[in-house]
Amino acid sequence: MNVWDLIVMQPMINVLIIMTHYLANNFGLAIIALTIIINVALMPLSLKQMHSTLAMQELQPKLLELQKKYGKDRQAMAQEQMRLYKEAGMNPAGCMLPMLIQMPIWVALYQSIMLALAVSPEGLLNLARYLYSWPVVYAMLPLGRDFLGLDLAMPNLTLALLVGATMWMQQKMSTPPPLDPKAAAQSQMMMWMMPLMFGFLALSFPSGLSLYWVASSVVRIAMQYKVSGWGGLKPTPKPAAASKKYLKLNTGNEKPAAEDGKADITVDASGKTEKPGKLMKYLPWRDRQKK
Amino acid sequence: MHLSNTRKSISKLLLLVIALLIIGLSGISCVQGLQPIGWSGGVVSGDSLYLGTKEGKLVKITIADQSRKWSEPLKTAPTGGALSCMPSGGGGCSSAAPGVAIYGTPAAAGELIYMAGYNGKIYAYNSATMADRWVYPRESYLEAIVSGPVVAQNKVIFGCSDGKVYALDAANGDKLWEFSTGDKIWGNAAVAGNTVYIGSFDKKLYALNIGDGTQKWVYTTEGAIGSTPLVQDGTVYIGSFDRNLYALDAATGDFKWKFTGGSWFWACPLIINNNIYAGCLDGKVYVLSTGGNKINEFDLGYPISSTPVVVDNLVIFATQKGTVSSLNTSNGEIRLLLEIKQAIYGPLTAHDGIVYIHTQDLNLHRVNVRTGAVLPTVALSSKG
Repeated sequence: MNVWDLIVMQPMINVLIIMTHYLANNFGLAIIALTIIINVALMPLSLKQMHSTLAMQELQPKLLELQKKYGKDRQAMAQEQMRLYKEAGMNPAGCMLPMLIQMPIWVALYQSIMLALAVSPEGLLNLARYLYSWPVVYAMLPLGRDFLGLDLAMPNLTLALLVGATMWMQQKMSTPPPLDPKAAAQSQMMMWMMPLMFGFLALSFPSGLSLYWVASSVVRIAMQYKVSGWGGLKPTPKPAAASKKYLKLNTGNEKPAAEDGKADITVDASGKTEKPGKLMKYLPWRDRQKK
Repeated sequence: MHLSNTRKSISKLLLLVIALLIIGLSGISCVQGLQPIGWSGGVVSGDSLYLGTKEGKLVKITIADQSRKWSEPLKTAPTGGALSCMPSGGGGCSSAAPGVAIYGTPAAAGELIYMAGYNGKIYAYNSATMADRWVYPRESYLEAIVSGPVVAQNKVIFGCSDGKVYALDAANGDKLWEFSTGDKIWGNAAVAGNTVYIGSFDKKLYALNIGDGTQKWVYTTEGAIGSTPLVQDGTVYIGSFDRNLYALDAATGDFKWKFTGGSWFWACPLIINNNIYAGCLDGKVYVLSTGGNKINEFDLGYPISSTPVVVDNLVIFATQKGTVSSLNTSNGEIRLLLEIKQAIYGPLTAHDGIVYIHTQDLNLHRVNVRTGAVLPTVALSSKG
């Protein structure tokens, strides 16, 4: 047994089996419980990653300004970017690092679930080498695969759809609408690609694994809500066109145009209003405030 | 421009991470036991050896010249996932398993060879022509069959993952009786006299009347039973997932003794010169007296799941690491006969001093135990 198996896989598999024992011999509940426990244990890292991502997103308008300002001067651009990060007290690697640290834990949890499920006879034989010599562990095997009428060893369409839906929801919450149209297209692609791929994979894997993905996404949705609220899930406010008034300033020097008749208010050179009887002033900041 | 490049780089990195993740997930799942491949042992009948290959075919190997003849491939049961990486009788992860998995060793009786498929069907073949004589069930499929068929008193008896023991008419495949247990059955049945002994994942060992399938007695262990019982001299020996090897009175099911190993006794033990030789998944061979006392133990270093065979006074064991060793029952000497770079899971077969080892890479390895000569490997692929 290699170091990875000994230090990570073996304890995780045995914990999963023991949890099954204490959760009414229900492996599905054990998957959910262990996923929640690991998420909670990794919460400081996850929150740090989410905060860093959020901070990075908040810097986007300033970064765009820098891009406009420095154009092709890469060196100046990089310097200004670093200065901006420094002023904001953030590290650009702050988004990726916690994710990379968590990755092995997720892989281990995934592998443990697959091994503990022991879908094929080879899987059950393989599982034997990971077991501690505790009677409770031996007595539990092979683990029951039924969970709410599902066979955790077989793929399930409903769970596959849930995998895609919860993953999309989590992605959407953590991704605000980008300011740059090119970035918006990329972001949109990423937002759909991951859920679609995992949903498709879930159709081919034991639903025990889908259960883990769904539980994991739900916990992350809760964490994301704590950090950024509904984020990108909030409906984007549309320009309040209906409440906007079209003001026509009639100086008397211009030839009347066809559209002039559609103006809500027409003000002539003397300041006299034609309709609706009250002089109104268009104040753009009001619209901005509404947003 | 720089910002745009950075964003592109991040996007590419993310795409790479996703791609790696997906490849990793797929790869791990197929490698680590999600995919059923099969580990059929062989049976010798007449001048030929018969075994089930991972192509889902019964292969007949003429012992004299190693010429081979294959049956038609078994049909995959209509289940499984989109990528078919699921136990629907094998078939998925094409590089790993091109056919229906076959775990049980075929059984021979008269001119027929019987074989069970992981697709949930049991087949009878003409041993000369390899044409199928009958199949059960004829239309539908049972759940996966891991155990092998046993033929006794003109009946084919086998256990199924649906938790039932079936007895079929050996001549035509008609069902004679069935008996329900509380969980999956993966181990073979053993028949002694008029009694069928079979273990179930419900932790119980059942003794059934071979005539009508009624229960004679049942004994409950502390773990699931996935191995095949050994019945000898009025005692039935059975390994359980509780790490014990049990000895029970074959007539009454009364407990005689149990011996605790370091892991499961998956392989069926054997008895030679009144000593029990039991291979364990902890990598050790335990030598016990028929009274249950440990006489000796030998550490082969790797898990033993293959049922051993006897050649003269030698007991041959294989490990999951791919080592094949002989244990001299006279002097306790262990000799490494062969080292294969493939895991060995299934039972060994011995005939005329030669031990046959079927590995999951579609090869049949051979070693002459008497001379120690390693014989050329027989390729089992029907595709040349």
